Amino acid sequence: MPFLLPALVINVVIILIPALLTIAMAFVEWDGVSIPTFVGFDNFRTIFADPVFFSALLNNIKWTLIFLTVPIAIGLVAGSLLLVVRRGRTFFQIVYFLPVIIATVVIARVWQGMIYNPESGLVGWLKLYGFVLSDPLALPPTALYAVASVDLWHWWGFLAVIFFAALRQVDMAQIDAAMLDGANFLQLMRYVLLPAIRPTITLMMIMTVIWSFLVFDFVYVLTQGGPAYSSEVLSTLSYRYAFYNYTIGPAAAVALVISFFGLIATVFYVRIQQREGV
Amino acid sequence: MLLSEGSQSMFAALIGAVTAAATLAMQSPAMADGPITLWYQRGCNPEQQRILQKDLVAPFNAAHPTTPLTLDVRGGSNGDRQIRMAVISGKGPDIVMTPGPSTTLALVLSDHLLPLDDYIKKYNLDKRILAPVLKTGEYKGHNYALPRTFETMVLYYNKTLFDKNGWTPPKSIAELNALAEAMQAKNITPFSVGNADWRAANEWHVTVVLNHYAGPENIYKALKGEIPWTDPVFVQAIDMLKDWYQKGWFGKNYFSLSGDQEALLLAKGEAGMAPNGTFSFDNMVAAFKQSGQELGVAALPSLRDGVPYPTYAIGTGSTMSINKNSANPDGAGAFLDYLYSDAFYDLISRDWPGDWNLPLTSIDEAKLAKNVSPLFAATVTSFSKAVAQGNFGYTTWTFWPPATEDYLIHGIEQVWLGQISTDDYLKKMQETFAKEMADGKVPPLAAR
Repeated sequence: MPFLLPALVINVVIILIPALLTIAMAFVEWDGVSIPTFVGFDNFRTIFADPVFFSALLNNIKWTLIFLTVPIAIGLVAGSLLLVVRRGRTFFQIVYFLPVIIATVVIARVWQGMIYNPESGLVGWLKLYGFVLSDPLALPPTALYAVASVDLWHWWGFLAVIFFAALRQVDMAQIDAAMLDGANFLQLMRYVLLPAIRPTITLMMIMTVIWSFLVFDFVYVLTQGGPAYSSEVLSTLSYRYAFYNYTIGPAAAVALVISFFGLIATVFYVRIQQREGV
Repeated sequence: MLLSEGSQSMFAALIGAVTAAATLAMQSPAMADGPITLWYQRGCNPEQQRILQKDLVAPFNAAHPTTPLTLDVRGGSNGDRQIRMAVISGKGPDIVMTPGPSTTLALVLSDHLLPLDDYIKKYNLDKRILAPVLKTGEYKGHNYALPRTFETMVLYYNKTLFDKNGWTPPKSIAELNALAEAMQAKNITPFSVGNADWRAANEWHVTVVLNHYAGPENIYKALKGEIPWTDPVFVQAIDMLKDWYQKGWFGKNYFSLSGDQEALLLAKGEAGMAPNGTFSFDNMVAAFKQSGQELGVAALPSLRDGVPYPTYAIGTGSTMSINKNSANPDGAGAFLDYLYSDAFYDLISRDWPGDWNLPLTSIDEAKLAKNVSPLFAATVTSFSKAVAQGNFGYTTWTFWPPATEDYLIHGIEQVWLGQISTDDYLKKMQETFAKEMADGKVPPLAAR
């Protein structure tokens, strides 16, 4: 047991104490400087009365659905292709993984300035050849999807490599047998590969739910939640409450909502773990 | 002996620094000993840090060897928060730099700043700093913060384009309407503006219509709580801004353009004018240098009969205070004496114009023109004169409380895009403002 102590101390100091403080702050009125005043559930009433809170929550849900499907599907296809097509495998792994190691701000600025921008980017260049496109970051109906596309570009390679690593653990005899029996690629995926790596896929999906409610960086750099709150998510809303409005209470209340969704995903994961353990 | 251009400016700077130090040494009364610290809160590249060491730190330290100043750059997006946290923890620098009056007010209310009245009296700072701007640091009869920057909204325009078409900068709404129509007829965007790299740029335009349509008198009353933000004059002002956006005066790419890009579009003549802050002067000059065309700067037009022309909205994007826990407040006071001196302004206006535009009463166009471009000198001095004569308004980033300002910035996008009405926008602004006013969060107001 003593060997668990250092990890426990670190968790208490850098996770438990700030977490408890955040819970406490959700029930006080505080500008970050003066003495906090207890206000009960007022901060929750404030955020629930703010229409931007619900549009931000909806954006987080849309974000979660996008990331539960698109990158996982691409990652699975790419990962299984890496397994089947052995030539150039290392090269493709590196290429797929490369966007993951580039700093978020760099990626965001490249997409914003060199692709989406109507003056300096690909969108502007296409205009010279008669293809009139708009900057998707500048339009309320597309802003969230434009930001999500950048994050997808950066993210799917990570999943491809993770799934490939899991697929490599599958017994090759099973794969060879299926192929000898005449299974095509889809049948191989459906009956051999996906069942074999299901725990990995489940873990990635649960982590995706948690990460999707924490999304902040790409949104903040690319649109700061605009135009007209169209790409606002809960974390950017919380940041705005705390550091622009100096209202720490509602910021902490939004943070608790974010944690609530993370908690649901965690409980779900633990339940599955327990079931599979049995 | 012939010196190269670089050596000449270095030599001139050295002479300036020595002169400043000598002046200080003669003027400064005896101080309490001990080091003092300043955490510089704004972004600052290595060259700018070198300028601060040369113009700010070295002359001060030469004149006050027993009170050495240490300058620590805490730039980036969270420099302000680092200073705030340190100060409320009872630590932090002796000289507290903030990004504006609303941040300062929170520290005043929580009793973390020292009243500066004694130092203002001792060093005659009230004679050296423009009175309406000095007022922005006053709370309950005591002054806690001195304005470091003195900025306003102006109308930049492409003078080459204007001369070619026989246009002159507009002084009234009728002239502005006619000019914008003429520009659109020639496929020129009237206003080169954008918010891709600074969403808060939205409030520049709100500041323009509130000050030049509703007028400073009405803003003053609203900030004092005497009339609501839903008053018809504000509704008309915001409707005018909405109309500009929807008529295409802001171009097609408002949400995509960065500051550099909008300056370049103006400099190339693809746009005719740009309502922007004096803080963007350097940016504009660089873009016009690139295009080879000529930059012009004018006061913003009066947008309604009865609103005086020219009117300049006062902006203070940075303030200086003394930490209540400073071990050497007298040393910090002496630093403020140097900061607001002609000697320092001479040095910094030559090396770093724009961002270091101190609100000094002694600013003189002829003197300033020796250090900076005549256009910048003329702009700054006409602004200073107008403020001294009482022709001033109020920028939203200086006089609005934080949550109201944040809503003003983001909510106006909903108005432009037709998602909410002007009435709904101003109603929400009034609700937010009323709460912050009741909580005492409205920053000090320059009286009329």
